[in-house]
Amino acid sequence: MFGLNFQRLRQQAREAFERRVRIITAGLSIAELRALLRGDPPTEKPNPRYRVHVTSFLFHIRPKFYLRGSTIFTHTFRLGFFTMFFFVLELITGLILMIYYTPSPAEAYNSILNLMSNVPYGKLLRDLHRLGAEGMVIFTALHMLRTYLTGSYKKERSFTWLTGVVLLLITLFLSFSGYLLPWDQLAYWAVTIGTSMAEAAPLFGKELNLLLRGAPDIGAGGLLRFYLLHVILLPLLAIWFISIHYYKVSREHGISLPAKFEEDESLPKEAVKRAKQRVDYLPDLFTHELFLTSLGLFILVVLTAFFYSAPLEHIANPQQTPLDTKAPWYFWWLQGMLKLGDKTLMGIILPTLIFGLLFAVPYLDRNPYRMAYRRPVAIALGVLATLTIVVLSYMGLPQYKIETPAATRIIQDLAPEEGLGELRAIPFEQLQPGVYEVNATEPENLCPEMDFGCPALEAVFAEFSERVNEAVEAGKLPEAQAVLVIEAWQADLVKVTPRILWLDPESGTRKSYERHIFLHRDHNRNE
Amino acid sequence: MRIQIQIFLGTLFLVATGAILIFVGLREDERMAEFERYQKAQQIEVGAELFEINCRGCHGLRGEGIPGLAPPLNDRHFFTERLAEVGWQGSLEDYIIATVSTGRQVSTRPDKYPGAGKPAMPTWSDRFGGPLRDDQIRSIAAFIMNWEATALGEVALETLPTPETEAADPITRGRAAFETYGCVGCHTIEGISSGAVGPNLTHIASHAGERKAGMTAEAYIRESILDPAAYLVEGYDDLMPKTFADTIPADELEDLIAFLLAQE
Ligand code: HEC
Ligand code: HEC
Ligand code: HEM
Repeated sequence: MFGLNFQRLRQQAREAFERRVRIITAGLSIAELRALLRGDPPTEKPNPRYRVHVTSFLFHIRPKFYLRGSTIFTHTFRLGFFTMFFFVLELITGLILMIYYTPSPAEAYNSILNLMSNVPYGKLLRDLHRLGAEGMVIFTALHMLRTYLTGSYKKERSFTWLTGVVLLLITLFLSFSGYLLPWDQLAYWAVTIGTSMAEAAPLFGKELNLLLRGAPDIGAGGLLRFYLLHVILLPLLAIWFISIHYYKVSREHGISLPAKFEEDESLPKEAVKRAKQRVDYLPDLFTHELFLTSLGLFILVVLTAFFYSAPLEHIANPQQTPLDTKAPWYFWWLQGMLKLGDKTLMGIILPTLIFGLLFAVPYLDRNPYRMAYRRPVAIALGVLATLTIVVLSYMGLPQYKIETPAATRIIQDLAPEEGLGELRAIPFEQLQPGVYEVNATEPENLCPEMDFGCPALEAVFAEFSERVNEAVEAGKLPEAQAVLVIEAWQADLVKVTPRILWLDPESGTRKSYERHIFLHRDHNRNE
Repeated sequence: MRIQIQIFLGTLFLVATGAILIFVGLREDERMAEFERYQKAQQIEVGAELFEINCRGCHGLRGEGIPGLAPPLNDRHFFTERLAEVGWQGSLEDYIIATVSTGRQVSTRPDKYPGAGKPAMPTWSDRFGGPLRDDQIRSIAAFIMNWEATALGEVALETLPTPETEAADPITRGRAAFETYGCVGCHTIEGISSGAVGPNLTHIASHAGERKAGMTAEAYIRESILDPAAYLVEGYDDLMPKTFADTIPADELEDLIAFLLAQE
């Protein structure tokens, strides 16, 4: 009468639990989940794995299946997937970095220093975010190249390509806007160069520049604008366009089949049939994506933990233009173009045309075939464009076609204003005070009093001598006299003065160039 | 049991990633401390550079001060007694930052260190119309504080075993002396220094011969250095130190005069 029916209770509990699970998993039962993990066929009919894509938002924007042929690794190299992976990584690490960052010129640099010296995992986070940004640019570009070479932008995929080009632009601007935020010399001057390009825009250049920088020079206004672009506007745009892009790929046309399955008549029927089989998202593609994600995470964490350090130069100084200013590498091609001609033409008009062309690719290329040998012109143009970008990027390097006076170059190479350089890499103990004169001081055994000598100092002095003598022979430094003076300046601080005197043939007077470099015992950081 | 190979490998990668994160985490304290030392070192290096550009004209190349102009910042007195002397409550570093930021309207020791007059030392912080940002002033302060060890005699610096190789010509050597003996703090020579306490010497060679009747330019310049009070240039007070006769060795004096005679 009052006895409890345990069997029934257990049954009810199991059903209730099952119902909850099904709500959370958008319709999958526990048995089904287990089957998914093991890669077994569906446990119910109709296939509950497809229903997930209807009832769950996240799965709604994922494909129900791809064709087997289009999942072949060497077809996509998973480049699009990894671009997305980087984007999500940037969102997560970026959100955490925002906790510690203050977007004002007085505080920005300090907040990075604080992140590095006071926040556990702070450096790792910053490195991840920085490396992820570079990775995203690289993978976006490679992904574009892949879709171009496999001819995957044709017909129903034209619009996908179009949203892709928008995404390329957004990615570049995302990366570039983030560049300014640490407010160091690297950031400040790269962005100064970048935004000065806006000034060259015809008609409204000045206004555009002002709008970006918030003042004639980059300052508090400019930093805040870049910050807001970087953390709000551009990520929102990116999410929006990635959604469209993904939706097109996963819900409308799927990933293209490798062209041979569509166009190569000689392929055995069996192979074609197999290529057109479905590979379901649940569980196969999903498992694969999880696998790629953990692989990507692993590689990134190894790289950042052991090999990569995000650069951080001295705090931005508007009064001091660095000797070698460089745009971020993905804009070197633009810097290279600027060396070839007028700022408006090369900096604004041509890039606009280039991106216009990119947008128009699917509409210009009316050739219906996708196999490489059936579209030789398109392939040739693609390869040519890639090579051009590489060559232009090389020309964009500061070393190319910018003549620095010989003495300045020698000293700058030995002890660059930013970064380590050979001279700064000398261990502090080896910086033995003295006057070392090129061609006068015996280059060996510079520090006879030291037990193990000072090989690093000797190497730098040898390098210095060699460079000076080379320049003398080349006639660039007539009658040169060069010294390296090392003075003990304070406790744990030395002053190093490389100095070069030479006869200036033009004026007939003696000129000199020197740099005063202060080095502290603790300045050598394990990079 | 059948195991999906990708799930297996994926899990393995995740575990490995976790292990690396733990490994990194164990070293974080050490890493952060190291970065802090590095940051401090960099601050001192930057401060040294800024000091050389902005302060050496008055306080001397190595902060040893220039008699008759500005006080030393590298001696025992500064590190042990100065705070009590002026009645400063906070730390020495704060005193430096505050003094440098606002400058000093009137010298506290007008007889010994009158500075440039009024103000004795200009304001440096850009908050008060000076040229330096606050982070730069903090760097300079870190640099000045780093003199403590030598000031208190805890550390003795190695001096150069040989004098710096002599520049080829007396004029170049004279120019160096002009900086070494602090002339740069009071005198302007275009392209070399900017001091406003004494007359502009950019063209001294052209009018030195006309200052005192019957005196050659060379003799006048020599006298001006060795006995500044012998002739006062109109509009200037008798502020030039009287000590150079004792402090400048004979050969360097000749170089200095040769250098000034070249300023036509
Ligand atoms: C125009 C010459 C001049 C220049 C340039 C100058 N100072 Fe001074 N400084 C003075 C004078 C004069 C005093 C006041 C001494 C006194 O009050 O007794 C002074 C005082 C100081 C004091 C306080 C010393 C004490 O014992 O109270 C500090 C610290 C100082 N200066 C640092 C600097 C720094 C750092 C710079 C460079 C950014 C600099 N000064 C540049 C002239 C100068
Ligand atoms: C404390 C500031 C101060 C310092 C340091 C200083 N001078 Fe002067 N100097 C003056 C003043 C003030 C005058 C003008 C009054 C006078 O003639 O004595 C002057 C005058 C001169 C004159 C004469 C200028 C003329 O137009 O007739 C010469 C030359 C000169 N100084 C050279 C030097 C040299 C060389 C040094 C370094 C060894 C030096 N001074 C260091 C303040 C200084
Ligand atoms: C934020 C940047 C981008 C993301 C996250 C992204 C993501 C993806 C993903 C995941 C795919 C599925 C196929 C694959 O993994 O390779 C894809 C396909 C595609 N993407 Fe992108 N993409 C981006 C940028 C671009 C760009 C710059 C272009 C070209 C201008 C582009 C053009 C295409 C095309 C044409 C396809 C279809 C490929 C096919 O069907 O074979 N995408 N994208």
